[in-house]
Amino acid sequence: MFARNITNVFVRNSFLGQSSKLYRNISITTVNHDIVKIQSTDDFKEKVINSKVPVVVDFFATWCNPCRLLTPRLESIISENKGKVILAKVDIDEQTDLALDYEVSSVPVLIAMKDGKVQHRLVGLQDTDKLRKWIEQFTNEESKAKVKA
Amino acid sequence: MSKRIRNIESDEEENYIYWKIKKLKKQARRSRRARKGRHGCRAAPPADDATDADCSNKKASQQTAPKDKLEDPEILEILGAAPAIDIKYNGTFDYDLAVIGGGSGGLACAKEAVNHGAKVAVLDYVTPSPLGTKWGLGGTCVNVGCIPKKLMHQAALLGESIHEAVSYGWEVPSPKDIKINWSSLTEAVQNHIKSVNWVTRVDLRDKKIEYINGLGEFKDAHTIIATLKNGSKKELTAKNIVIAVGGRPHYPDIPGALEYCISSDDIFSLGYPPGKTLVVGAGYIGLECAGFLNSLGYSATVLVRSVPLRGFDQQMAHLVTAEMEERGVRFHHKCVPLSVEKLESGQLKARWQNTDTGEQCEDVFDTVLMATGRYALTKALNLPAAGVTQNLCSRSGDIPRTTVFTPLEYGCVGLSEETAIARLGEDAVEVYHAYYKPTEFFIPQRNIRNCYLKAVAERAPPQRVLGLHFVGPVAGEVIQGFAAAIKCGLTMEQLMNTVGIHPTVAEEFTRLNITKRSGKDPNPASCCS
Repeated sequence: MFARNITNVFVRNSFLGQSSKLYRNISITTVNHDIVKIQSTDDFKEKVINSKVPVVVDFFATWCNPCRLLTPRLESIISENKGKVILAKVDIDEQTDLALDYEVSSVPVLIAMKDGKVQHRLVGLQDTDKLRKWIEQFTNEESKAKVKA
Repeated sequence: MSKRIRNIESDEEENYIYWKIKKLKKQARRSRRARKGRHGCRAAPPADDATDADCSNKKASQQTAPKDKLEDPEILEILGAAPAIDIKYNGTFDYDLAVIGGGSGGLACAKEAVNHGAKVAVLDYVTPSPLGTKWGLGGTCVNVGCIPKKLMHQAALLGESIHEAVSYGWEVPSPKDIKINWSSLTEAVQNHIKSVNWVTRVDLRDKKIEYINGLGEFKDAHTIIATLKNGSKKELTAKNIVIAVGGRPHYPDIPGALEYCISSDDIFSLGYPPGKTLVVGAGYIGLECAGFLNSLGYSATVLVRSVPLRGFDQQMAHLVTAEMEERGVRFHHKCVPLSVEKLESGQLKARWQNTDTGEQCEDVFDTVLMATGRYALTKALNLPAAGVTQNLCSRSGDIPRTTVFTPLEYGCVGLSEETAIARLGEDAVEVYHAYYKPTEFFIPQRNIRNCYLKAVAERAPPQRVLGLHFVGPVAGEVIQGFAAAIKCGLTMEQLMNTVGIHPTVAEEFTRLNITKRSGKDPNPASCCS
């Protein structure tokens, strides 16, 4: 585990380094509580299943290149939405049971959830336009549902 | 069974099991075919088969495959059915099959078993190396064996190619400054491994094989105690249990070995560049490590206790080491390590002794890598509890074929020249041989002195081929197809009548025509050299 951790830490540091740079580029005022990293199954329950706002769950792996490309695109769109939608990031190596429960096989997998239920699923690397459309559609569906209720 | 799994580089145990499954499958196929002939249809399982009566109904309901498959006595034989079922289990077990070890052999076995409708669990656990290295699911080959080795070998070849590219007209800015970034290399290699770990995990889930990340040991012949990561213990029972635990590197019993030395378990994820390295041992693991380290730009020295690549054809082994020496790897022959001590600088002072002359030597290294063999991990299994007695025996039956990924690769299938002569006698063996020049070696003026191949055959017509040996580029790719040919009973006449694909290195086999016995010059014609 020791050596594995080293590489893990290394990968994650460079990875997070990139994304923090990105936050700075987009908006200095946006605090990233719209973006959460899931730490456990209980954490997932609290932040995703019981979330009042719709959630996009990003199942990713540190060793997955498409995931690394997807991350900045995804995070920028989430930031654009200013609290209307939350991004929950799940590292499939750390939260393997969660990933297997949601039938994740190849990564990245995006799952749109509201009220603890899976609404949509998007597998593989997506371009920013498609991603934005997908997220906007999903969050709008949500608000329509609210209006109806 | 996935053919991808087959690789002789994975450790002996896994290979043995793999071979055994294959053999049993073959037997099963053969006798099924025979039965089919007798009855004219797929035979139903005999109703009075004692081993069949033990499958509980509970399990049968969870089986996806037709029931008759599970009860097929031949399938049970494949699964290694336990000889006698203990009466106290009353025919109910948690699993039809438990496999201890999630490596090439264990996974292949588990997958085969679920295909036949069995309920299967796989236990996999990695005890950290003395340095503390751990890894994921998939066993030696994927994590610390053939896969990372091949990737690092590829990294080494690419480095060489950059320099060769200059001869082919590529304008490479300051080729002398080209160097490897060790952490980028290990990160890329480890990322690939982690992706394979994940795919393996998903595969187990898809096939409904239960994965238990625990260290298994026997309580009795049908009960395993699994010690999980958090130290808790879990008991499970299985009608059949397959041991596929593989092996781990052996450390010589000298001062400093465990404290300061690394092994192949550590090198592929080493958190710092290895620097000047001493490799203890000249088996295939030692030579491959020394080979890629040297090509990556780290000085490599090898201690050879007896002979390099013991068990392999020695003429070929010497070509492999000659090539390595010409590239700058240092060899100390007939030398055994005495001690390794840590200096204040953090470097390691290694001492060794020449067993012929008694002379002692020492030198300072950044890294000392032990490659002095591997031992089977069967001790921790508490085998006596299961009534298993250990019997160390060598594999037989299948034709050995492998490739050693040294800078100049060595691929072989079948018998070495020594073994053929020992078995048949010198008069009954004919050896065809040749040195050759790979086309792509001319322009960069690469060393061709060690590009050599030979065919070991029966002397009497039709001269059945017993072994093929090849030192040169892409040896594994060259040998694989010929392995199939040998399996089909290849003769020298057939080989010589085969039309070569030009220009390739593999075609050299079809051009063999000089026997060692003739004493003719095996060197190719040359224009200038």
